[in-house]
Amino acid sequence: MKFSPMPFQYKFRKKETLEQMYLLGVQSVPIIVVSLGFVGLMMILELAFHMRLVLSHDALVPSFSAILMVRELGPVISCLLLTSRIGAGIAAEIGSMKITEQLDALKMLSIDPIDYLVIPRWMGSVFAAVTLTVISIAVALWGGAFLATKKLGTTPGEYFNTVFFFVKFPDVLRCLVKAAAFGTLIPVIAAYQGFHCGTGSAAVGEAATQAVVKTSLCIIIADFLLTYLFYAI
Amino acid sequence: MNFSLSIISTFGKMILFAWECFVLTLEGKTRWRHVVEQIYQVGVRSLGTTFTAGIFVGAIMALQMEIQLKDFGAEAFLGGLSTSTTLRNVGPVLIAFLLSGKVGAYTSAELGTMEVTEQLNAIRLLGANPVEYIILPRMWAIIISSFLLLIVGLMVTILGGVVFCEMININPLTYIQNIPRIVTAWSVGQSVVKSFLFGLIIAVVSCYKGYYARGGSVGVGIAVQSCAVTNLMLIIFTDFFISMASSFMQDLLRTGYL
Repeated sequence: MKFSPMPFQYKFRKKETLEQMYLLGVQSVPIIVVSLGFVGLMMILELAFHMRLVLSHDALVPSFSAILMVRELGPVISCLLLTSRIGAGIAAEIGSMKITEQLDALKMLSIDPIDYLVIPRWMGSVFAAVTLTVISIAVALWGGAFLATKKLGTTPGEYFNTVFFFVKFPDVLRCLVKAAAFGTLIPVIAAYQGFHCGTGSAAVGEAATQAVVKTSLCIIIADFLLTYLFYAI
Repeated sequence: MNFSLSIISTFGKMILFAWECFVLTLEGKTRWRHVVEQIYQVGVRSLGTTFTAGIFVGAIMALQMEIQLKDFGAEAFLGGLSTSTTLRNVGPVLIAFLLSGKVGAYTSAELGTMEVTEQLNAIRLLGANPVEYIILPRMWAIIISSFLLLIVGLMVTILGGVVFCEMININPLTYIQNIPRIVTAWSVGQSVVKSFLFGLIIAVVSCYKGYYARGGSVGVGIAVQSCAVTNLMLIIFTDFFISMASSFMQDLLRTGYL
């Protein structure tokens, strides 16, 4: 396969990109929003338990859970869900295009498969990861406000006040960078598995499985590295 | 309306499917030799993934807790808090995500391929029950080996935290000594219950989705994808409800109603 020398030489294909944004992003909204809402509720429950054990009061629970949500669990869990939702699909799609020789047909028409297939998916996936992370963190904080009002006896105003006091703007920026990085990992690894899948329909299934597993592992490792880079150095 | 109805009916079918397998087990139809074979297949295949995931999940939580506790001035509780948070919810959920990707996708793809290439029909034609021959050993193998893998993964998360402490020059002995002060038997019990339920979910969902895959190789792809999504959502819901039940029980214990 011949690679273009410069990434900036790729054409921007508006129609395909918009289509992928819809397929990868908009259609994943219900799953991710509902799941992250439950994660937000769960973080309040668990941290209330821990804070009572350690500090014997629970005034720090909202801020602690919000920081953990924004810095760590929001991007990681929503991107892991996104991986299982779209990663297998991308790998299976490109893999079956390979075994039915549609990729060769594209090359015959002098269309670069990376340009035509991977770049729109990459843009769609980054768009999906970033927007879904923002939406899901908002929903998780909202769920947290609900449970904190019920269980800890804070008012919603108090909750959001502490949250906005402790979560700084750089945290949000770093969270978006993390989401964009994970959104890049998903189509790159999945498309690699698709382009390199063997012959036969069993190989397509194997490529899809490998895509999901490798992407999930890479997301967890990348999360550790990025957190270390952002906060510990 | 249609959408929510289809969710409820899928859920009901899954429970009926699990019930059928349970009844077959009670009747003594499980072939434990096949179960052991499948445990070997599933367990060995996923051990590396579980180890890597465990190490990194432990390190991530230790790192994050270290940064946050420094802000609040409670660094003395680092070992206990990060281990306890990892064991009680973050660890089981993240490791179960990876296991469901690995085990669930593999199983549903394999069973789906068997179904669409009519191998299961061939078994029915021979007068045997495919649930008994093919599904039941896999189901038990996935339940047992996911449970064991999750427990191993949770142990490895503690190791991950210790490795991380070595990295940033915190004394690992202080870290470890801190763990029993906060991690109680109740927390360990909660994470064991969660691990068992996540294993059960992965087993039932992936066998169900593979067994009911229809429509050629495209159908297998759809089965794999919907298996992964269903697994992850059910894992998150179960995690929340177990946490809720545990917190409710502890409230009852503390107030003396139980």
